[in-house]
Amino acid sequence: MIQLPLSMRLTLALLIALAPLGTMARSTRDDAQSVMRPSLVELEVARKLFDYQTPWTRTSGNLRKSALVVSADQVLTTADGLSNLTLMRAQRDGRGKYYEASVVWVDYHANLALVKVEDSSFWKGLKPVELLTKVSPSDEFQVHRWKGGNMESRKAEFSQVVVRQSKLSLYDFAQFELTTEMTAAGWGEPVMVGNKLAGLLTSQARNTATLMPAPFIRHVLDAHKKGSFAGMGFFDFTWQPTENPAIHRRYEFPGEPRGVLVIDGAKLNGQTNVIQRGDIIVQVDGFDIDTQGNYLDPMFGRLLLENLSTRQHFAGDQVPIKIWRHGKWAEVRFRLPKVDYGIRQVPEHQFDQEPEYLILGGLVFQPLTGPYLRRWQDYYNEATAPFRLNYYKNDAPTKDRSGLVVLSNVLPDPYNLGYQDQHSPLVVSQINGRTVSNLKDLAEALRQPKDGYHVIQYMKSDNIKRMVVDAEGAAAATKRVLERYGIENDRFLAGTAGK
Amino acid sequence: MRSTIILPILLGAAAALGGNSAPEKSVIQIYNFGQSVAWDAPWRFTGVGRSTGTGFLIKGKRIMTNAHVVSWAKQILVRRYQDPRPYAAKVKFIGHDCDLAVLEVEDEAFFEGLEPLEVGELPKVRSTVITYGYPAGGEQISYTRGVVSRIELQTYVHIGNLAFLGVQTDAAINPGNSGGPVIQEGMVVGVAFQGATGLENTGFFIPPSVINHFLKDVEDGTYHGFPRAGIRVIALQNPAYRKSLGLAATGPGARVDLVLPSSAAKGILEEDDVILNVAGFDVGSDASIMYEGNRLNLTAGFHGAQHGDKVQVKILRKGQEQSVQVPMTVTEEEKMLSNQYDVLPRYYVYGGLIFTPLSIDYLRTLGRNWADSAGSEMFYELYYRRNEKPEVNRPEPIVLAGVLAHPVNANMKAQSRSLVSKINGKAITKLEDVVEALAQPGVKEHLIEFLQNDGVECLSRDEADQANPKILKTYGITKDRRL
Repeated sequence: MIQLPLSMRLTLALLIALAPLGTMARSTRDDAQSVMRPSLVELEVARKLFDYQTPWTRTSGNLRKSALVVSADQVLTTADGLSNLTLMRAQRDGRGKYYEASVVWVDYHANLALVKVEDSSFWKGLKPVELLTKVSPSDEFQVHRWKGGNMESRKAEFSQVVVRQSKLSLYDFAQFELTTEMTAAGWGEPVMVGNKLAGLLTSQARNTATLMPAPFIRHVLDAHKKGSFAGMGFFDFTWQPTENPAIHRRYEFPGEPRGVLVIDGAKLNGQTNVIQRGDIIVQVDGFDIDTQGNYLDPMFGRLLLENLSTRQHFAGDQVPIKIWRHGKWAEVRFRLPKVDYGIRQVPEHQFDQEPEYLILGGLVFQPLTGPYLRRWQDYYNEATAPFRLNYYKNDAPTKDRSGLVVLSNVLPDPYNLGYQDQHSPLVVSQINGRTVSNLKDLAEALRQPKDGYHVIQYMKSDNIKRMVVDAEGAAAATKRVLERYGIENDRFLAGTAGK
Repeated sequence: MRSTIILPILLGAAAALGGNSAPEKSVIQIYNFGQSVAWDAPWRFTGVGRSTGTGFLIKGKRIMTNAHVVSWAKQILVRRYQDPRPYAAKVKFIGHDCDLAVLEVEDEAFFEGLEPLEVGELPKVRSTVITYGYPAGGEQISYTRGVVSRIELQTYVHIGNLAFLGVQTDAAINPGNSGGPVIQEGMVVGVAFQGATGLENTGFFIPPSVINHFLKDVEDGTYHGFPRAGIRVIALQNPAYRKSLGLAATGPGARVDLVLPSSAAKGILEEDDVILNVAGFDVGSDASIMYEGNRLNLTAGFHGAQHGDKVQVKILRKGQEQSVQVPMTVTEEEKMLSNQYDVLPRYYVYGGLIFTPLSIDYLRTLGRNWADSAGSEMFYELYYRRNEKPEVNRPEPIVLAGVLAHPVNANMKAQSRSLVSKINGKAITKLEDVVEALAQPGVKEHLIEFLQNDGVECLSRDEADQANPKILKTYGITKDRRL
């Protein structure tokens, strides 16, 4: 009789004991994949990419996204990566024929899109997936996508619920952080609980992925279906925690400390009187607010009050807020402003819009935008854009100035002699005495030269404050510059079809 | 890409003939035992450091050296050439802007047999110079020969934000050479002061014009410093711009682009004045002048003036040529942008909150990436607000530099290292305002408002008043304020 060493005997025992479990795990995954197979779609997106250093140039880029069948003729995905698309094709089963697809509806703020395929053969055998009405941290999450013709399915473990800014917008809402071994995710991969959708992945950093929960998606899609989607709303006031009880005493707040202190009041929708600096907010939409700014969410537990702007509401809805102001209680109704990139002088994003520019005899002007500022990270690998540009990043539009324009580059030519070494972008203040908020203002200002010259005034900086160029010779110089530098048009202004 | 960093060099220099046939005898080795302060805990001194540099005897029984050799000195010892005896020395005058200092030695024996060195002329480019000093690598005097490679305005790294005439040489200038004489034909033609890492064979010395400016400045017993005109002049080469100002498409003349609000030249010079001549130097369209055979930025033309002088400037305004006298003054306003030395920072500690003026030295305590950590409000306040929004009268912006933990401030988490805007409704424009605002009668809870994010903090007055002595004792702070 052969005696096995004890260690080997133990290993065999474990293997024997584990064998049925391994089979079971495989079977669960196979079941999940068989559920997903008729519902999971891959999108191939080709789109135009822009170089904000030379805004007249275009390159193309491709990306692959996941989408999920949610109705008889539509798939759901995130809006991320769909801007400036030139061609989109859908593929089922992870392989085989591509079908031309188009966007039916997209909202970049909500980061959601519905996509359709006209060819009816695409839809044969495909099955819509239902969205969960409730997602719980204790759920067992599985994330799926097509990869190299096979379905990749990975377990995802709940880490935490965070109220965080939407990936493509400026408002905050409750999202899940999940840990998963899937890599390079965040392109709309569906996360399932059983055979229902728990949410879509919107980003990933190392092994932590962010999930847009299904209840949020349902909330938006239902409103869209009903035709009542008014856009995402948000609170445009700023508050700080009041864990320091001296703050309550200073504001003569009665009873136990609670609520948060408003440090920058509301400004949009003409609501400057509704929420003001110095107000202590104690209740929002019926929920009590603690000193850290949290409320008790029925689904997710303690969450920052920002989530109450999207939990059951959209832009334009009235949200009841209880405040302590000047030693008295007050109930106000706050009308949620619509989140819009234009709420800042420097719009954070510009989707489905080619970069604007205008060339005047080699002086290249562009609007100051988020994508323009990000070129320092994208091309120069620097943490941020120069201070003098970043400085304006969070400014709100004013009565006199809705946006900003920069002299971004100088294409050397005899016309601009003396300015050719101007490497740092300069923010334009006025041209020919006219305030310039955008390139249309700039084009208009150039129609009214001063005594035969264009006088360009820049915002205060460490650099040149004023330039003067010849008005009469501008057209010829611009023509010369376009030919010399191989540029087709002297300008692209949004809404003017290139001219 | 290889980065170039110019560093002050604590060391000395070289050999020669002419005016003094044995200059090495007049070259002095300097030992500085110094102690600076912690800018975010301004009552606290750093550890005592020992550094060495070089100096040389000049007329009037004075030792000339670099300011950075003797900054923050608690004790200075000097030694003569080949003499083992140390002598105690004191700083008589120090010019941190031009990185020069003059020391005195009480013991007359020190001067026995020593001949002062004389300051000569600006050496020519390509001519040979010898640096004398006591650089690292040995105890004996060292001599290095090199040629004058280039003469132009250089940033003086000791002060950090000012540029004066500097001479570049390929003579080795190493740590310890600082303050040593650069000799040509027995005359001092410079004071070695900084080198550049990342560049080979590159050392810099302070030329005679700057040395003489410093020595003339101290003749009245006070060092004022290099005054400034407070204007920004830029090249005027665009033909259309030139034409619009009544000039030919090509030719001399540069343009006043900005007159600083605090400038004494305000009302005398205007934007778009064309500068044709500064102190006798014709100005080129690239805003340069020809100075002893070297083309330099025209600011060099203003550098000859002392505080209170006027510089004659020829301008073209609205097509008319005219001469104006530009007053030159030294102001304290730009001080927070300069590296500061030998002045202990002001502060006030109350309830564990440390209030101190904003300065570049303070911001450096935020770490290597202080420019990012400081935030845009602080950065703007430091560099730009004075000139760009002078209507906001804040001569000395105050920061909450830190919070010394104590139950009275334990819940104040939001606003450490922030710029203070108001306290109890009083606008804070200088440190005295903080003291005054916190002493206002009738306030039960102090309300402190900050510039960043408009945040606020509150502090119970009774509790803070009671806690003050204990906090000071706990953290070893002997005085709650230095005003």
